[in-house]
Amino acid sequence: MSEDITEKPAPEQRLNLLKNRVKPTLLLAVGLGIASGFVLIAQALIVAGLVHRVMIDGSGYREVLPQLLWLPPLMLARAGLSWISERVAFAASATIRQEVRNDLFQRLLDAGPLQLKGDRAGEVATVIVDGVEALEGYYSRYLPHLAVMAVVPLSILAAVVPADWISAGIMLFSAPFIPFFTILIGRGAERLNQRQWQTLARLGGYFLDRVNGLATLRMFNASRREAEMIARISDDYRRATMSVLYMAFLSALVLEFFATVSVALMAVVIGFRLLKGGMAFQDGFTVLLLAPEFYLPLRLMGNYYHARMEAIGAAERIFNLLDTPLAPRPAAPHPLPPVSPLRICLEDVCFRYSPDSPPVIDGVTLNLAQGERVALVGPSGAGKSTLAALLLGFALPEQGRVLINGVDLAQCDLDQWRRHVAWVPQSPHLFHGTIGDNIRLGRQDATDTDVLQAASRARCGEFIARLPQGLDTVIGEQGAGLSGGQARRIALARVFLKDSPLIITDEPTAGLDAHSETLVREALGELAQGRTVLSIAHRLATLEDTDRVVVMSGGRIIEQGHYDDLKGAGGLFARMAAAGEGA
Amino acid sequence: MRDILRLLKLAWPYRAWLSAALGLSLVTLFANVGLLALSGWFIAAMALAGINGTPINYHYPAAGIRTLAIGRTLGRYAERVVSHQASLRLLAGLRVWIYRRIEPLAPARLESYASGDLLSRIRADIDSLDNFYLRLLAPVLTALCSSLLFILFLWYFNSAVALATGALLLAAGGFLPLAVHLLGRKPGARVTQTSAELRTAVVDGLRGMEELLAYGAAGRQKERVVELNRRLLADQARLAGLAGVSAGGVGLCSGLALWLALVISIPLVRAGSLTGPQMVMLALFCQAAFEAVLPLPPAFRLLGQTLAAARRIFSLADETPAVKEPREPAQLPETPLLTLRGVGFSYSDSAATLVGIDLDLAPGRKVAVVGTSGAGKSTLLALLLRFREYDSGSMTMAGREIREYDGETVRRLMAVASQQPFLFNATLRENLLIARPEASEEEMIAAADIAGVHDEIAAFAQGYDTPAGEGGVKLSGGQIRRLAIARAILKDSPVLLLDEPTEGVDASAARSLLERVFSFAEGRALLVITHSRIGLEAMDEVLLMDEGRIVERGSHAELLARSRRYRDMWELDD
Repeated sequence: MSEDITEKPAPEQRLNLLKNRVKPTLLLAVGLGIASGFVLIAQALIVAGLVHRVMIDGSGYREVLPQLLWLPPLMLARAGLSWISERVAFAASATIRQEVRNDLFQRLLDAGPLQLKGDRAGEVATVIVDGVEALEGYYSRYLPHLAVMAVVPLSILAAVVPADWISAGIMLFSAPFIPFFTILIGRGAERLNQRQWQTLARLGGYFLDRVNGLATLRMFNASRREAEMIARISDDYRRATMSVLYMAFLSALVLEFFATVSVALMAVVIGFRLLKGGMAFQDGFTVLLLAPEFYLPLRLMGNYYHARMEAIGAAERIFNLLDTPLAPRPAAPHPLPPVSPLRICLEDVCFRYSPDSPPVIDGVTLNLAQGERVALVGPSGAGKSTLAALLLGFALPEQGRVLINGVDLAQCDLDQWRRHVAWVPQSPHLFHGTIGDNIRLGRQDATDTDVLQAASRARCGEFIARLPQGLDTVIGEQGAGLSGGQARRIALARVFLKDSPLIITDEPTAGLDAHSETLVREALGELAQGRTVLSIAHRLATLEDTDRVVVMSGGRIIEQGHYDDLKGAGGLFARMAAAGEGA
Repeated sequence: MRDILRLLKLAWPYRAWLSAALGLSLVTLFANVGLLALSGWFIAAMALAGINGTPINYHYPAAGIRTLAIGRTLGRYAERVVSHQASLRLLAGLRVWIYRRIEPLAPARLESYASGDLLSRIRADIDSLDNFYLRLLAPVLTALCSSLLFILFLWYFNSAVALATGALLLAAGGFLPLAVHLLGRKPGARVTQTSAELRTAVVDGLRGMEELLAYGAAGRQKERVVELNRRLLADQARLAGLAGVSAGGVGLCSGLALWLALVISIPLVRAGSLTGPQMVMLALFCQAAFEAVLPLPPAFRLLGQTLAAARRIFSLADETPAVKEPREPAQLPETPLLTLRGVGFSYSDSAATLVGIDLDLAPGRKVAVVGTSGAGKSTLLALLLRFREYDSGSMTMAGREIREYDGETVRRLMAVASQQPFLFNATLRENLLIARPEASEEEMIAAADIAGVHDEIAAFAQGYDTPAGEGGVKLSGGQIRRLAIARAILKDSPVLLLDEPTEGVDASAARSLLERVFSFAEGRALLVITHSRIGLEAMDEVLLMDEGRIVERGSHAELLARSRRYRDMWELDD
């Protein structure tokens, strides 16, 4: 009914398209709902006939026994139908939610880490978990009910017309007002609801943000002040919610007003017709029994309308995420050429994060030969980390190509390529789980011996051995419970466990003291034997044993060559070197 | 049960709102049941009067029907508004309550919770407490009061009908919800648990996506999300099935009540001890009475889930802070003379982290702490900030043991730029002003200038109004660090603590940054934890830490001359 009057917003059209995935299940739920409506009509007819015979005809048990015996099975049948339809409708919504949630997560993985710039993880997780949950009512209640609502009241009307046409007239006259007002008020509420979802998300984000930053708040003695802010924001939330609810309740009020007053009116009209002998009691009573049931689906529509609005509010964010742009991928990726020996060429590569932002990589051409150790240096923001991301296939160049033994990486299976690359990022992520699981990230089947060996080569074997639970020690998110250096070395252990011909490190010793740095450098040196290494370097001291130093600035390579040559060349590198340590 | 009592206690301040909601829902319920029963009686009586030609006063019943119809409609609206107001006010109160409870726990006691999980605990769990008040407490009280009144009313006409209806009400409102609750308890608890795990898995998968892709583990994380998702929905399906059983069950009981009322009344009508209209009224009354217990089965179905959420919230709220505040805190001292003598500390389950630390911080004195990672430098900072309690030795401020001061008093004297600075989901300005909300624009810019970050901020299109944190502009590690330094400087405290201030900053910039910081710190106490040797020559004292002990101390020049170990640390950089 709502379809005729409201212009459907885009999210709802897409919600409706999803419905097709579970069409048979939804149709079954609708069928069961309608069957239950027919049982109800039969029940009312029997009760009215029975009471009529007892009260007017003066019958006793013997005369009305068949009717009396018919009633309990019918009631039982209704209960059964209601149970099954509930299960079926839920199954439909569960299938859709399951698929949407999995699709969302997969889409974000496909889009790659650079799409989650600015660490929107918390907000996005809320959409994936809570946003998808908000779709439940749309498929399990709103849609099935929409169909039931179209059939059951009409059937009741058909049963009432022969009994009392005046009451049928009242029903026919009053019924359209109910959806009309629902939609009129619902449209206003819909606009409000979009705002409420935003407020809700803001509140959720605010709360998580402040809780995550509690330590910082306490450092600045701002944490108690924040309690008042949270009180205020919670109050805003209450206001936003209530402003939606006032409207929702108002529409419920209108619905109930029409339904209740119509039933009352019918009772009074029937009473007077009976007094004047204008109709049989049996017919009057049938109408009285069916009248509330006629309005019930219409009234329930008001409740489900709320579920619909909630789903539409969430749908917009869900579809936004599902529409996260993907870099074009070949339908049938080229097989990766043999990687031994490994030659990597970057050909005039350009990259920017979004079409309207300045290029981060601006025409870089670079060759890496098998076994070569190359260091990338340059001021922060020079594009060093982005270059590493391009080599790892986290993003594809906007212009130019990354060639692996002559084959364009953009045309290859990226997972296959990454199997040959070991990577140590600037701030490694440790997963909620055990230390062992974290080291096993790239090789699930590694034995404890392998893991411990990798750990000791990464110089974290010793402190792991000191932990009471060793490798099974559970660490929190972001490596809570470990020092920065320990977390870094656990991430290094991952690399040792993974036997790859190319190693990319992003400032692997930043934050480590000189002592640990020596150890890590030794270990990396050991690992580098016979492999190609690209290291984003921070300290000049780490550059001496590299084959080549590449100096980047503003997304371009401005000089490259051997450490000693560059030091004497009088360029940016020489100036950086003169400044002391670090680059 | 203890949890329920505790929940009730938290609701006590809102009792006026809650009892108003209860009263209104009783009025609405009576109006509705009365309307149906009276309508039935009315048409039956009118029909008999019509047939027998007896006179009947129809004014009062007709007016009654209209009054009940309008009373019911308005009553329902008022009840909804009042009960939602009550519930939302309560929720806002709960949010603040839980925040105040966990605030003293940060950061020491919260480290073991993953942040995604913590979010779930606090927000989702509090939201699910919504169920307790709106869908549990209120319906139970309403059902209890109204059922008793209904039975009394029926008893007046016929005790057998009253007993039969009472028994069915008990079945629909008592046994059915109880059975549903018992069956739903396990899946309900699992739903809470699984959705928390799902959230953690999603957050972990998004934050750690680079590693997952690089190590070919993305598929595994996806499988984990898919599996948790599947488990969540399977348990939800169980709960939905139970919901179907209870909805059907209440409908069945209400039908049976009507049926029993008829079965009992038929011989009485025949015998003349009950009139026909009374039979109609009783039958309809019995059927309608079940509206009172209609919300009970779904309410109890949610009980397991709600109690699991409540337990998690209470267990979090009941953690004891790492540092106990003094009963009668000492006054803010004039000069922040900090003296540590033989201070020791160990985390509960491990070897000593700090042993015999001696440290002097006084205005105009600059101290640097260097050493291997894991040497306990960050723990030292946590002790100074009163985030952790030292186990042994003495830590005094202006001559009094630091335990005698309130933690906030101690922190008022200190400004910190930590190693992993946190930026809030707010503008850069708001992030800076956290340190001192009343600071002027000029003071803020001056602080940013000292930290060497003002020019970069000014270059953003929105300047200081640029959003930061999650969903904000992406800042480099060096920029975040310098913002944190600016924030510490803006605080304008007599003690300045900087943890790795120059990491991620290039050497020449680091040098000039430290020069500006040193001149700002003139006359203040300065403690710098660092890995870089830049600026060490300007320090009054350098402490070399290893495995929780200070192994060497002296000026940079002295240490270079005296300690081979110290020289080795910097060898690489020369």
